[in-house]
Amino acid sequence: MRQRESTIALVFLAPAFVALGVFLFYPIVQTAIYSLFDLEYSTRWREATFVGLANYGDVLASREFWGSMRFTVLFTVAAVSLEFVLGLGMALATFWVVRPLRGILRAIIVLPWAIPGVIQASMWRWLFNSDVGLLGHLAVALGLADQPPLFLADPTLAVGSVILAYVWKGASMSAIFLMGGLAMVPQHLLDAAKMDGARAWMRLRRITLPLILPTILVTLLFRTLDALRVFDIVYGLTGGGPGTTTDTLSSFAYKFYFTFVQFGRGSAYAIITFLLVTGLSLLYIRRITPHLRFR
Amino acid sequence: MRRSLHTLASLVVTAVVALFCLLPLYWVLVTSLKRPGTEFRLPLRAWPAPVSWESYLTVLGPDFRIQHAILNSLLVSAAVTAGALFLAGLAAYAIARLRFRYKVQSLTLIQMAGMAPAIVVIAPTFVLIRSLGLLSSLPGLILPNIAYSIPLSTWLLAAYFANLPFDLEDAAKTDGWPPFQVFLRVILPLAAPGLFSAGVLVFLGSWGEFMLALTISMGLPEAQTVPVAILGFSQAFQLQWAWVSAGIVLSLLPVIVLVLLFQKTVIQGLTAGAVRY
Repeated sequence: MRQRESTIALVFLAPAFVALGVFLFYPIVQTAIYSLFDLEYSTRWREATFVGLANYGDVLASREFWGSMRFTVLFTVAAVSLEFVLGLGMALATFWVVRPLRGILRAIIVLPWAIPGVIQASMWRWLFNSDVGLLGHLAVALGLADQPPLFLADPTLAVGSVILAYVWKGASMSAIFLMGGLAMVPQHLLDAAKMDGARAWMRLRRITLPLILPTILVTLLFRTLDALRVFDIVYGLTGGGPGTTTDTLSSFAYKFYFTFVQFGRGSAYAIITFLLVTGLSLLYIRRITPHLRFR
Repeated sequence: MRRSLHTLASLVVTAVVALFCLLPLYWVLVTSLKRPGTEFRLPLRAWPAPVSWESYLTVLGPDFRIQHAILNSLLVSAAVTAGALFLAGLAAYAIARLRFRYKVQSLTLIQMAGMAPAIVVIAPTFVLIRSLGLLSSLPGLILPNIAYSIPLSTWLLAAYFANLPFDLEDAAKTDGWPPFQVFLRVILPLAAPGLFSAGVLVFLGSWGEFMLALTISMGLPEAQTVPVAILGFSQAFQLQWAWVSAGIVLSLLPVIVLVLLFQKTVIQGLTAGAVRY
């Protein structure tokens, strides 16, 4: 009977694993193979020269790689921390405001999350427009600048702009995760602390935050993974520019593939990104897996 | 007194959050209602006067046909949702309800696959889709997207299936029902709310998928989904932002309606896997 049940399980798992195999596992292995060959303008690796790890050597010795690596890390750290602060604030707000406003507030918070990344990029490109962009004119009206800044042409501002546009959506996503955690904080604990005279800040620091710590960790890990893989917002907003200032690992690897048509080097680039993300994602999966209880 | 102070503060907080979350969307709406050709006029106004629907007619007209991209996206997302829920449902049933070795390992492997960055699969996938003759076709988008959606939906469905009662399933097994019948006629009906919630998330996820859509569509309109079409508009018409904005508003309508209708489901679905301890 037990033997039979594991056979059935195998049959039920097979179709999903075939799909994952064809469109995820196989391509990853194939990319790893590409990365060992000298491939330009073609992916026919069987006819190409085997170069061992030379592509990795080239990539790791290039200034562009370290530039995109530096930007990706800076972007990830800045975006994830900003998102977390804003997301936590918004999530707390949905539990703090008077009851009739809670549903409305939640609906407002979820909206940015649902906007596809590349459409979001187009929207922000218009908001950042140097002639009639809303943000430039707001900056002038608030006395932050004499004239609308060149958000996407100035290297420093371009970095900030990409981060801001990404955080707009990311804060929404973080808030959604944190709302889930906050919903599970027992109200009676907070009420009891209030009766004992604990102020709001104390209740937050001593009760709410420690209780939702697991959710916070999962949120930070998940958002870090997302930020490290970022592609569409960069591709749509700056295209990596000015120059290669805002190129991330993914957007630069994409240029290797489809602009420079160097599949060998591009694959080495992609594999390095993959290894970086996979190391972290193992941590993430270890965190969330034990909590599912199965028969 | 304290009460009305709380109400007042709540209104202020809600307004600030709304400003942050909705301002970009509002500005695109305003731009879409400007008369084309007046986008670059100063000073900026909070509401266009007069309101013009011309851009909407333009993007729905023969030169743009945004409705074509929206239809493509609807078809792709619907097919991906159906396919992914079926495959993930089978896998999740095995993981949540059947006894077998390497269960945790199977689930971990599926989840790892879901974390792989798109860039590491895109080149071989492009070659594969080309060799199948599916470049710039909807099936060329649907098949890989089904695979991409399996990890999240397996996760959500396994969590949901695990909490279903066992008595109906055991009764059906005692009656000698074959496993697939048990899955199809006992588990799936019981899990309808879970399937729905996973379905909404898969639908929205594949609606926004970009790297594959960009690569497979090859710049041709046949298989352009909404994200690719909008990016194309905004690059081709750098000065006609009223048109681009109208395109954005129309293509966001289905998503916004979906999210506002099923806001609770979305939040519960997204947090189900992440925060249950």
